[in-house]
Amino acid sequence: MKNTSTIEVKRDILWRVYLCFIAIILVCVVVMSKAFYIQQVQGEHWRGMSDSMHQKIVELDAERGTIYSEDGQMLSTSIPQFDIYVDFGAEGLRDKSGKLFRQNLDSLSYCLSNLFKDKSGSAYKKILSNGYAKKTRYFLLKRKISFKEYQQLRQFPLVRLGRNKSGFIAEVRSIRLNPYQLLAYRTIGLNRENAQKIGLEQTYDSVLKGTTGKRLVRYIGGGVSVPVDGALDIEPENGKDVITTLNVHIQEIAENALMNMMQQSESQTGTCIVMETKTGKIRAMANLGRRPDGSYWEDYNYAMRATEPGSTIKLATLLAVLSEGKTSINDVVKVGNTGTAFVGVREVTDAERSPKPVMTVAECFAHSSNIGMSEIAYNTFAQQPDKFMKYLHQFRLDTITGIDLLGESKPRLPRMNRRNEGLHAMVTMSFGYAIQISPLQTLTLYNAIANGGKMMKPYLVNSIQNDGTIIKQYGPTVLRESICKPGIVKAAQQCMLAVTAFGTGKPIFKDCPYKVAGKTGTAHVADGKYGYNDGVYQASFVGYFPADNPQFTCIVAIKTKPYAPLHFGGQLAAPVFKEISDRLYSMYVQHSDSIRYATDIVNDSIGYNYIGMKTDVSEVMNALDIPFKASSTNSDWISVYKNGKAPAVAGKTMPASVMPSLQGMGLKDAVYLCENMGLKVRVKGAGKVTTQSISSGNKISKGQVVSIELN
Amino acid sequence: MAELAYIQEPFKHLQRKAKGDKYIWSSVLLLALASVLVVYSATGSLAYKMYKGNTEVYLFKQVSFIIVGLLAVYFLHLVNYKFYSRVALILYLISVPLLIYTLFFGAEINEGSRWIKLPVINMTFQTSDFAKVALFMYISRELSRKQHVIKDFKKGFLPVIIPIMITCALIMPANLSNALLTGATSLLLLFIGRVHGKHLMMVIGVALIPILLIVGIAALTYTGKTTDGVKETSKNKVAESLTSMGRFGTWVSRVQDFMYASNDDIPYQVEQANIAIANGSILYGLGPGKSRQRNFLPQAYNDEIFPIIIEEYGLIGGAFIIFIYMVFLFRCINIFRRCPYAFGAFLALGLSFSMIIQALANMAVGVNLTPVTGVTLPLVSMGGSSFLFTCAAIGIILSVARNVEQLEGKNVEPPAAQMKEEKKALQPA
Repeated sequence: MKNTSTIEVKRDILWRVYLCFIAIILVCVVVMSKAFYIQQVQGEHWRGMSDSMHQKIVELDAERGTIYSEDGQMLSTSIPQFDIYVDFGAEGLRDKSGKLFRQNLDSLSYCLSNLFKDKSGSAYKKILSNGYAKKTRYFLLKRKISFKEYQQLRQFPLVRLGRNKSGFIAEVRSIRLNPYQLLAYRTIGLNRENAQKIGLEQTYDSVLKGTTGKRLVRYIGGGVSVPVDGALDIEPENGKDVITTLNVHIQEIAENALMNMMQQSESQTGTCIVMETKTGKIRAMANLGRRPDGSYWEDYNYAMRATEPGSTIKLATLLAVLSEGKTSINDVVKVGNTGTAFVGVREVTDAERSPKPVMTVAECFAHSSNIGMSEIAYNTFAQQPDKFMKYLHQFRLDTITGIDLLGESKPRLPRMNRRNEGLHAMVTMSFGYAIQISPLQTLTLYNAIANGGKMMKPYLVNSIQNDGTIIKQYGPTVLRESICKPGIVKAAQQCMLAVTAFGTGKPIFKDCPYKVAGKTGTAHVADGKYGYNDGVYQASFVGYFPADNPQFTCIVAIKTKPYAPLHFGGQLAAPVFKEISDRLYSMYVQHSDSIRYATDIVNDSIGYNYIGMKTDVSEVMNALDIPFKASSTNSDWISVYKNGKAPAVAGKTMPASVMPSLQGMGLKDAVYLCENMGLKVRVKGAGKVTTQSISSGNKISKGQVVSIELN
Repeated sequence: MAELAYIQEPFKHLQRKAKGDKYIWSSVLLLALASVLVVYSATGSLAYKMYKGNTEVYLFKQVSFIIVGLLAVYFLHLVNYKFYSRVALILYLISVPLLIYTLFFGAEINEGSRWIKLPVINMTFQTSDFAKVALFMYISRELSRKQHVIKDFKKGFLPVIIPIMITCALIMPANLSNALLTGATSLLLLFIGRVHGKHLMMVIGVALIPILLIVGIAALTYTGKTTDGVKETSKNKVAESLTSMGRFGTWVSRVQDFMYASNDDIPYQVEQANIAIANGSILYGLGPGKSRQRNFLPQAYNDEIFPIIIEEYGLIGGAFIIFIYMVFLFRCINIFRRCPYAFGAFLALGLSFSMIIQALANMAVGVNLTPVTGVTLPLVSMGGSSFLFTCAAIGIILSVARNVEQLEGKNVEPPAAQMKEEKKALQPA
């Protein structure tokens, strides 16, 4: 009885067990069927999705090329920059309820504060703790840190554990850096991501930017991707380097000279271009604009902006008149003594009262008489004002220069449709109004005269290089073999010399050891909110030097503030020109044949005098056990000289901006000192410095070359 | 099955010593072998994240777990299973306060508070894994003791159903799916244990209330697919308001995800699992260690290991794993048939069914039959507390098997007193 009931119970249980077993097998079948369905029926869909989700074509950025000056200084280059983010939700960071984070918080905050020096350690601690509490996934810790700082950051506690543990994420970007900052900033231009590029960066963008590569990658864990094997990659091609014609040294001189005048006169805008006469190479192009806070910055390329030139156009008038052959520069013109006269169709006023009522053509030019110049223009072209336009065309004043820099504005000339209207415009144009041309164009015309009538195209780029190999070389381009007859060129040169000899340029150039030929210009400017009567002037000076063998042609154009006390070309622009020409003359022209070595006293072994770093000298003296009288000095440099039996030591202060005397220095010290001052050193011989190419006490500028000889 | 022979070679010595059902032993070893292969492959991206690509770390971990687990199986199977009858009650009494502790002070991993940290060995373990084993042992004990009064509501039904409800209720707040799974397994055991059908229906009816509530809310708050933007915001709003009620919001949104899934609106995990399945074929997968989806499928080494198996070894590989589980279950049923003592019989059934149901639940998630839940594939998923408790359960089953074998082979009489008790228990009411 007992047994049977036990067996019955068991049987009762057994069918239930088998029922459940069958049910479970059924579920298994359903599971496998579903898997089969997903794989075989929907398979294509899922596999397709897999490819599209996990593979991606990524762009490989090409490195942008560098813009160099002619002497190999970097003007604009790409450097990496890092933005640092923190993922406070990183697994490693939150692991063990943030043990790692809390352990490293203090030391990390301290290190961050030490590195960036913008916040205190406790401030950083607060920031990090806040971020951790809020569990921010993408917290911006610090923007725009340099590669060097990034390298240091990576060694910090926590950070060095890597991205997954520390949550520190670095996003790298490539930014453009102009090591020389202000120098030719606008000419070099900007490579902006969200705005139009400008300057050389824009003009040569296609060369600089290179080609972006492409690569097919497959994502694996942790946001990391690997290239797909066998897929065709397109390697990025790095951008080429652009070697400009700019010279950092000349640019600095021009920029500084212009800046000084701008600051003194509080002028609005100013530009200065230095061109190599024979070739048309632009050696410097400075542009300064006044900012609301009164400082100046390269904010616009004024050199290429067309404005009413004023008296500098009188060269074109002179050339046109002389070309007609009916007038010579010694012909006499009556200008009267009121400063105002009616010339043909309109009233003409002189900016400066003429010194005498009757002057020669050359004197009219030299004294910049509007009346005189318009008079001769009217006399010559009254019957056919169109002809004057033809001359302007011949001098290429009706078209852009074609410089390899985008943004050159087209000249604006008046229409000469009806005869009377044309005549009026022609007379107005003859002294620089009713026509708008850019300073660069004016410069190009003057350069042609300096160059014996051959008009050169201004250009900014010497060559395109790839890893130091020249890919494309640019040379001088002749725009017009001869803009007018040689005799006329000579006559024009004489007139320009007269300007500095007894004309409007005389006050500035009277004591000049070399000859400058040029022309001043003072124009009323109506621009934007200012009208002709608001007392805004454009003061300019354009010319070349040395006049007997022209090397450089230069234009300076400054737009004054309203009612500026100084507004004449001879007062504002000519001094800037003079400062530039003085420096360039002493650097390039005067010494161009052979570098004259300035020699200080040569010391022999009896009357020795050695200069060196204080620590080095005392170490040597101590090692050699030579007793010496140490003078108390705070200077880093000391000189050891003979003083009785024992050598004496005196402190030597090294000036920061003028050439120091390198006499008696070892090579190491001399090079260290010079390069710290921004000089480039050329070395000859061995031993101690005996001669140096720049005399001590001379003003020096960055990038200048100094040759030293050691013996 | 060259692999089988290969893996069994070193174990031959152990095999002679190891008693119990050799099919069960083989199943366990095969599953362990599969786990080494798949876990090693699937932890690739995890290893990359945590150990800079040093995948051996996880291989070593898994092998250690397997060794410890097999040792546990071996030692537990040496114990006379009747000892577990006494232990069952104690374990159950320990599990309840442990669950309560976890609920309030447990570590939160992936939102739910399911884990506690063991102080000395510094390992987290999911208390529900422990509670489940304890519960099923306890049910087996109760069912075997109450067989004579099992159809009675007060004497037979209540004593078994109350512990089940307590455990499920305590697991539920942190881990609803696990609670449902435990409940369903318990009901299956009650059904096998001849509990009155009427009572079972009643329990199901009560249990359906919260489930229907969630599904109902999910259906009501789901605002449909007018435009993407609108849908998302409204859904978020609901989810936001629901998060104030603990994990209720998560449940609702998961049910919504499952109920309203269309091709362009599938949870990431499901999508990746499906891609993994699609990457394999019927006979061949991508090959051992060649999985691509392991890098994208969350929990590829754990909850979603089944799709990875199919990806690497094809449908046939998946089917083979299922087959091993079925062999395991069948052999356990066999033990039940041969076991003369009710407690041992129920123990074998209870523990094996619960393990297989868990396996099926895991695979059902893997092939997107059910919403995403966090259930491991017993013995195959990467080691952890669940792996060790599964091993413990297998050890206990093998202990029963060993006793049955001993009984059949040597016909050794069990101690008289116990015999008496068992017989009494088997008497019908």
